[in-house]
Amino acid sequence: MVSYIIRRLLMLVPVLLGVTLAVFLVMQVIPDPTGIILGQHATPAQMAALRHELGLDRPVWVQYGDFLWKALHGDLGRSYLTRAPVTYEIGRRFPHTIELTLAAILIASVVGILAGIVSAIRQYTVIDHLAMVGALLGVSMPIFWLGLMLIELFAVYLHWLPVDGRITLEAGYHFRTGFYIIEAAVTHNWPAFRDAVRHIILPATALAAYSTGLIARMTRSSMLEVVRQDYIRTARAKGVPERRVIFRHALKNAMIPVVTVVGLQFGYLLGGAVLTETVFSWPGIGSLAVSAVQNSDIPLIQGTVLLVATVFVVVNLVVDIVYAFLDPRIRYS
Amino acid sequence: MSEDFSPIPASKRQRGAGRAVPALFRRIGAVLRKTAADLQLGEVWKRLKRNRAAMAGLYLLAFIVVVAVFAPVFAPYSPIQGDLRAVLQRPSWSHLMGTDELGRDILSRVIFGARLSLEVGFVAVSIALILGTILGAVAGYYGGPLDDVIMRIMDVLLAFPSILLALALMVMLGHGLNKAMIAIGIVEIPSYARIVRGSVLAVREQEYVESARALGVPTGRIIRRHILPNVLAPIIVRATLGISEAILEAAALGFLGLGAQLPQPEWGAMLSRSRNYIISAPWAVFFPGFAITVTVLALNLLGDGLRDALDPRLKAG
Repeated sequence: MVSYIIRRLLMLVPVLLGVTLAVFLVMQVIPDPTGIILGQHATPAQMAALRHELGLDRPVWVQYGDFLWKALHGDLGRSYLTRAPVTYEIGRRFPHTIELTLAAILIASVVGILAGIVSAIRQYTVIDHLAMVGALLGVSMPIFWLGLMLIELFAVYLHWLPVDGRITLEAGYHFRTGFYIIEAAVTHNWPAFRDAVRHIILPATALAAYSTGLIARMTRSSMLEVVRQDYIRTARAKGVPERRVIFRHALKNAMIPVVTVVGLQFGYLLGGAVLTETVFSWPGIGSLAVSAVQNSDIPLIQGTVLLVATVFVVVNLVVDIVYAFLDPRIRYS
Repeated sequence: MSEDFSPIPASKRQRGAGRAVPALFRRIGAVLRKTAADLQLGEVWKRLKRNRAAMAGLYLLAFIVVVAVFAPVFAPYSPIQGDLRAVLQRPSWSHLMGTDELGRDILSRVIFGARLSLEVGFVAVSIALILGTILGAVAGYYGGPLDDVIMRIMDVLLAFPSILLALALMVMLGHGLNKAMIAIGIVEIPSYARIVRGSVLAVREQEYVESARALGVPTGRIIRRHILPNVLAPIIVRATLGISEAILEAAALGFLGLGAQLPQPEWGAMLSRSRNYIISAPWAVFFPGFAITVTVLALNLLGDGLRDALDPRLKAG
C-alpha cells in the first residue's frame, strides 16, 4: 500500500509541472496586458516601462522559471486590476467556494445514494422510474439555468429563500473567516448560521444536481450488480432478514465504486462553481475567475486556474488511494 | 503518341469514364455494407429499437435536427430583428414564447439557436474525435516514449475541470462561437485518446488477432473485423454523450459572455442577457434553458441506449 501511494505521488510531479507550464503558456499568447493596466491613454514609453517592471521583456523560458520558482514559494504575482497579491485575493475567496462545494457534495451524496438504493430495491416500480427520470434530468440541465429557475421559483415567486449573495449584508454579521456556516456553528451564532444556511441552499442545490443524478445512477447499477452475486443469495438462503442483506451485505460492496464517483465529483463541483457563483453572486473563486477572465487579469487567471487544477489533481489522487484501500485488487495491478 | 495497351476500344472508354463515379459509390457502398455487417449493426439496431427510452431520445433528436435544418421555415419571425414596440411581452398566440428585451420573438430565436448548438456539438466533437483518435492510436500502436509523452499531455489536460480549461483557452483564443468550438474540442481530446489507446492496446494483445494474423488474414480485414468494432462501440457512445457535453459547455461559455456573441441566438448567450429580467420576464429565461435541457436529454437518452445496444455486457440493471 505504501509503495502504491509513493508511486502515485511521484506520478503527480510531472502532471503538476505540466499544469504550471500549460497555465503559463496559455497566458503567453494573450496580447500585451500593459494597455489593460494603464488604460487607453498610456504612452508607448509608459507601457515599455511597465513591461520592464512586470518582467515581460525577458525571454519566455526565464519568465516560466521565475513563475514556477515564485509559485513554489507561494507568490503568484499581483492582480493587474486591484494590485493586491493573487494569493491574498484567492485566500479571501477560496473558503466561500469550499463551503459551497462541501454543501453540494453533501446534498449530492445523501440524495443520490438514497435515491439509488431505493431505485435498486424497488427496481422497475414507479419510484424507480421517477428517481431515474429525475437523475437523468439532473445530468441534462445546465447548472446556470437550473440556478436561475430555482431563484425564480423559491426566491422570486415563493419568497422562501434569498435571491443571491452569501449572507444578509444589512444584518451586519461579523465573520473572521470565509467559512461562514462552520464559523457560525462553532461560535454558536445561530441567527448568522440560519442566515448563511438559507443563502447556501439554492446555489448548493443547483451545483449538486448533476452529481446527484450521476451518483444515483451509479449507486443503483452498483447495487443491482452486487445483489446478483452468489454471496447475497447465500445470505438470503441462510435466512438473513432482507433489510440486513441489503444494508450490511450488499451496500458495503456496492459503495466501493460509488465512493470513487463521489470523490471525483469534488473536482467537477469546483468547475461547476464557476457558473453557480456567477448566477448567485457568490463571492468565491469561481466568480473571481470569471471576472479575471473578463478583465484579462492574467496573474489572477493563472492563480485561480492553477489552484483549482492542483486541488483537482490532489483530490483525484486521494480518491484513487482510498479506492485502492477499499478494493485490494487495484493496488496489486 | 504513346501506344495504347488498353483492351477496351477507345470509343467505349469514354462511356466507362462516365460510369467511374457511380462505380466508386458502389464500391464505397459495398465496403460500408461489409463493415456494417462486420459490426453487426443490424443486431445493434434491433436491440436499440427495443429500448423505449433510447428511441424517445432518437425521435426527439430527429425532431430537433429537422427544426434546426428548416429553421427559416418554422420560425415565425426574424431571430435578429426585434420589434421595439413589443418588448418583454409574455407568451401569447402571436409570440408563443414571448419576446425578449429588444422585442425579438423568443420562439424564433430558440429555433435558430438549435442550429448553433447542434453545430457546436458536432464541430467540437469532430475536433476532439479526430485529434483524439490519431493521438490515441499513435500512442497505443507505437508505445514507448511516444506513448508516454502523449498520455502525459493528456493527463495534464485532464487535470483541469473541463469548464475551467475551456475558460482559460478562451482567454487565449479570444471570444466568439467558433473559438468556443475549438476550445471545447481541445478539452474533450483526452477522453477519445484514452478510449482509442486502450482499445488498440487491448486488441493488439488478443490471441484471436494474433491467430488471425498467423492465418494470413489481410491487415485491412483485421482492422475492420477486430480492431474497428472494439474501438467504434465505445467511441460512438462517447461521441454521443460528448455532443451533449459540448452543447452544455458552449452554452455555459455563451452564458459567461465568452462564447457566442449577441445578437447571435445561441441559447446560453440568450440566458446571459435575459437573466437580468428574471423578475419581470421569467419566460425569457425559461425557454432557452429548456431548449438546452431537451437537446441534452435527447442525446443522453440516445447515448445510454447506444451503450447498452453496442455492448450488452455493460448494460446496467
